[in-house]
Amino acid sequence: MEVEKLGIPTAPIVTIAFEQLAKTNAAQRGMPDERICFTPHPMTNKTDAEMYQVLMGKDPVTGKPFMAEVIDAITKPLSADEKRTGEVRPSTGPSTYVDTPENLQRFYADNNMSDFQPIILPTEEKVEWMLKGTSHHPDEIVGKMSAAQGAFPEWSYTVRHVAINAVMAGAQPEFFPAILALASTGQTAIFSSTSSFARMAVVNGPYRDKIKMNYGIGALGPFNDANATIGRAWTILSKNLGGAGLPGMTYMGTTGTNFNYNNMCCAETEDKLPDGWKPLHVRHGFKPTDSTVSIFTGWSLTNVCYFGLPYHEMITHWLTHYFSTNNGSVNLVLDPTVAADVKAHGFDSQDAFREYLIKNSKTPAWLYWQRRDKEMAQAKQGVEPFASYLKMGPDADIPVSRFVPRRWPGAPPNSPLPETIEMIVMGGETNTYWLGGDFRYTGTTSIDKWV
Amino acid sequence: MKINRRKLLSLIGISPAVLAGVPTFAEPAKKNGGRGSVDTGKIEVLNPKGLPPAIQLVPMAPRVASLDGKTIYLVSDGFAGAHRFLNQMAIWFQKNMPSVHTIYKLKAGGLAGDDPKLWAEIKANGVAMIMAYGH
Repeated sequence: MEVEKLGIPTAPIVTIAFEQLAKTNAAQRGMPDERICFTPHPMTNKTDAEMYQVLMGKDPVTGKPFMAEVIDAITKPLSADEKRTGEVRPSTGPSTYVDTPENLQRFYADNNMSDFQPIILPTEEKVEWMLKGTSHHPDEIVGKMSAAQGAFPEWSYTVRHVAINAVMAGAQPEFFPAILALASTGQTAIFSSTSSFARMAVVNGPYRDKIKMNYGIGALGPFNDANATIGRAWTILSKNLGGAGLPGMTYMGTTGTNFNYNNMCCAETEDKLPDGWKPLHVRHGFKPTDSTVSIFTGWSLTNVCYFGLPYHEMITHWLTHYFSTNNGSVNLVLDPTVAADVKAHGFDSQDAFREYLIKNSKTPAWLYWQRRDKEMAQAKQGVEPFASYLKMGPDADIPVSRFVPRRWPGAPPNSPLPETIEMIVMGGETNTYWLGGDFRYTGTTSIDKWV
Repeated sequence: MKINRRKLLSLIGISPAVLAGVPTFAEPAKKNGGRGSVDTGKIEVLNPKGLPPAIQLVPMAPRVASLDGKTIYLVSDGFAGAHRFLNQMAIWFQKNMPSVHTIYKLKAGGLAGDDPKLWAEIKANGVAMIMAYGH
């Protein structure tokens, strides 16, 4: 669309699985008649001959010959609709609705405004009650959110909007500052990607105890009011305040993820951190007396128990052999008993442990050589160390960690290196379990400012 | 599930909006001067939706009358397989419209990122762009 604005006629090609998304996105960006051409889906693994046959076939949406459609897209004169200018203000419906409670429950679900579990109906009385949880003015703008940053327009929302959604999730007013903090980040809980993103929200500081969050036995389970409803509110508000979560349009996760129901909302077990270890928020520039919520984004978690090795060695092996959608960053959730064992083996801080893991974890050869065509060519020419790595064979573990921090392509040279291994301590010490996953730490924000 | 133009326009508010949240059966509240229960068994509740931005309609670029002797850019957004698909398209042009010159480019910035440098090149040297696979 940016190219069309420059006066260059364009034929975007999209696979049929993304028809609704492509057309919706074009409409939301101001070009509802964009001439999108469609191919069958999927295309990724087709042979060259099969791809050529697609060109010789028909557009599955219009039924017209595909290449004729493409040529038409850039040559056929524009219609009056395609030349339209002006401004359109999308409607979000009336400010209130009236019906029986039973019908309204159905109404919110049918219009994709809930998570399809019963909600607390947001009457004005309930919303006023929720607003008592913050000193901020109900009309204050809290932030902007998109179903997928860069791909969809950002919606804005006020404290009152967030309160309505917090009521629907069943939250108490004292949980409202944490919900406002999450909303203020602008990060949607249900990011639209075919890969089915999940989120994790970790609360730190005195606020955890003030609202009686669970960071002991079953902290990630359905055993606590605050953990449950703060996490749920983030998902519901992401639908209603960020325009996310319409399958096929603003949500494309092919399998989806159950994590989206609650976003693994929990708190860190700060009082059981080993000596010298610091709470998550303190490691990211906050004071111990600050209350914060930190966000992780990823896809999956693995539950690991004792395998006959000290935990620091076990986690190193796991880092070497674990693979997932994301192979460049991980999160660790350590029960306090596991953290104590790591500390007992000489790791006086999380930073020291992280450095050890990066130094000692390796990469399986099959994974190492993926997307390393240049290094493979050098290896075949005898250039070291690649030649030695290649000689190790396809089943070897190459002595290069996947978790050495690297800047994203195109990032400014002086920008901070991204976190590749982040960890929290949490759990009820009933056994020496730990969780490892492909979640990346994305930031920490203040809860105190929303009290 | 297909999406027609009427529904599409409804998404941006040109006709009654669907995407942004239009009731399927609950009625908008009438002026009642009160709060909470408005009729026996009925209650008044608040719309939880935020504020979508206004949409500026963007006119499409004027089309090219003829491609004869012109240059078209075939641009990959980096999605897996897109470069091979566009390579086949270049072959199709050679076979079926040999007077059209095609240039292949990989867009910088990944799937959703902007690439002003490439757009400027296309503006200077080409007449149109075909991009695959956007989604």
